[in-house]
Amino acid sequence: MYRPGPRPAFSRIPGTSRTVRPVIRFEKVTKSYAGPDKPALNQVTINVDKGEFVFLVGASGSGKSTALRLLLREMRPTTGRVYVAGKEINRLATWKVPRLRRQIGTVFQDFRLLPNKNVSENVAFALQVIGRSGRDIKRTVPETLELVGLSDKANRMPEELSGGEQQRVAIARAMVNHPMILIADEPTGNLDPATSVGIMKLLDRINATGTTVLMATHDHGVVDQMRKRVIELDHGRVVRDEATGVYGFQH
Amino acid sequence: MQLRHVSTNLRQGLRRNASMHLAVVLTLFVSLSLAGIGLMMSKQAELTVDVIGSELQIQVVLCLPDDPQNASCTSEVTEEQKSAIATAIDDNPEVADFRFESKAESLEKLKALLGPEQFEGPDPVFTVEDAPQAVRITLEDPNDFDGTVDAVANLDGVSYITLAKDEVKPIFTLIDVLQYSSWGAAAALLLASILLVANTIRLTALARRKEIEIMRLVGASRIFIALPFLLEALVTALLGVALAVGAVAAFTQFALIGGLSEVVRALPFIGWAEWAETSLVLVVVAPILTVVPTLLLTRKYLRL
Repeated sequence: MYRPGPRPAFSRIPGTSRTVRPVIRFEKVTKSYAGPDKPALNQVTINVDKGEFVFLVGASGSGKSTALRLLLREMRPTTGRVYVAGKEINRLATWKVPRLRRQIGTVFQDFRLLPNKNVSENVAFALQVIGRSGRDIKRTVPETLELVGLSDKANRMPEELSGGEQQRVAIARAMVNHPMILIADEPTGNLDPATSVGIMKLLDRINATGTTVLMATHDHGVVDQMRKRVIELDHGRVVRDEATGVYGFQH
Repeated sequence: MQLRHVSTNLRQGLRRNASMHLAVVLTLFVSLSLAGIGLMMSKQAELTVDVIGSELQIQVVLCLPDDPQNASCTSEVTEEQKSAIATAIDDNPEVADFRFESKAESLEKLKALLGPEQFEGPDPVFTVEDAPQAVRITLEDPNDFDGTVDAVANLDGVSYITLAKDEVKPIFTLIDVLQYSSWGAAAALLLASILLVANTIRLTALARRKEIEIMRLVGASRIFIALPFLLEALVTALLGVALAVGAVAAFTQFALIGGLSEVVRALPFIGWAEWAETSLVLVVVAPILTVVPTLLLTRKYLRL
């Protein structure tokens, strides 16, 4: 079906790839769930360097979500190792997991905003619950809303916003603590193509400031447009890893 | 900001599940009251044993001059008579232990039984001269006492013998029944209150699942996420304790101080000192009993 493309992406700067420590590293990771099914991830090895923008593509059930959940230490791999910033996170003590998650911002298809809080409160919530001071929050939240272009809607409730605006709030919430990595799981899945373009521009801008972005998606248009690194999973295996790829050969 | 966040959450949580929290408070109140009464009863049992002896005991009361109980006693028991009595008791296999009680000790017990009024003043009704010496025998088995009684009853210097078994048993039966039934009911209700706590947490976790999910994702610490739940548990526990301490106080005042002790003059009853001890136990134990299950259950329901 597929002819694996040229790989791997991290050697695109010859001679430096071995010395630069990847910010995300999957090392022969296998994850099996209980039951007779084949493993969700099978001997997956991926390296993502600091500042990269990576698309994770593949059909439903190809293992994308599993990979993201492993990265957030929602679960541990059956075998193999997952590293974030050089630390092996599957060996992290449970009480240190929150500290890992503070370094990773997360955005989802369904936005996951709190309906009883306004835009600014939704963003501030992420800082409140990790114990930031009120002064700190008052300073940081408007800055972040400005980054996502919602300064004028700080007092709106989520239900008053369009889907694209809601996703911007979610991105602001993910970025307000200045994480090293931004994980986006189908961020344009609920949005029309025009709105998606705006969200992708925003993600690109965030990436340009040095944040590593890892985005799982089904959205062919978005992937083809961006011409970023593409890693394709199929039945739990990496079948393609291209430095500047498109969604698939069928397009 | 953090404190405000926590207190807002606490208030919201208490209001959101008001009926559930009320149920927890009430079951805790009743179960802690019963546990408190059980504790009081065990203290009452101890006090009763101290004064009138357990059912394992035989009291051999020795002669006084002009003994009102036994006309054959002509004088205070002598040292020779006492050593003969000691030998007879010591030789008996039914006896586990025995000791002599002096006139002074005997007087103290009388005081405890009759109240201090008759022992005070310039011309008291009872003085140390009226208090008989005695031997307190502890038996191996409360039902094997015939041999001891036979061996001692007819010795010189013995005024009369009381079997604590006969006098004490109904009292202890009553105390035991009260004590164990209140413990039992308290345990059942405590289980009920823990189940209610579990239900409350499950409901709250469901109502707040979006918030909790986000807290986990952005890296809120476990304790921070669990804190509102723990505080809710603590508040309900303290309300339950407050009510229970009041109920045990009412029990102390109306059932013991103003009740039984007025009617049953022959027995000493516990009072406010024991109530204070019991309250202290409740204050310490109750929060542990709700907070520990809450910790375990939040781990379970919040996947912390």
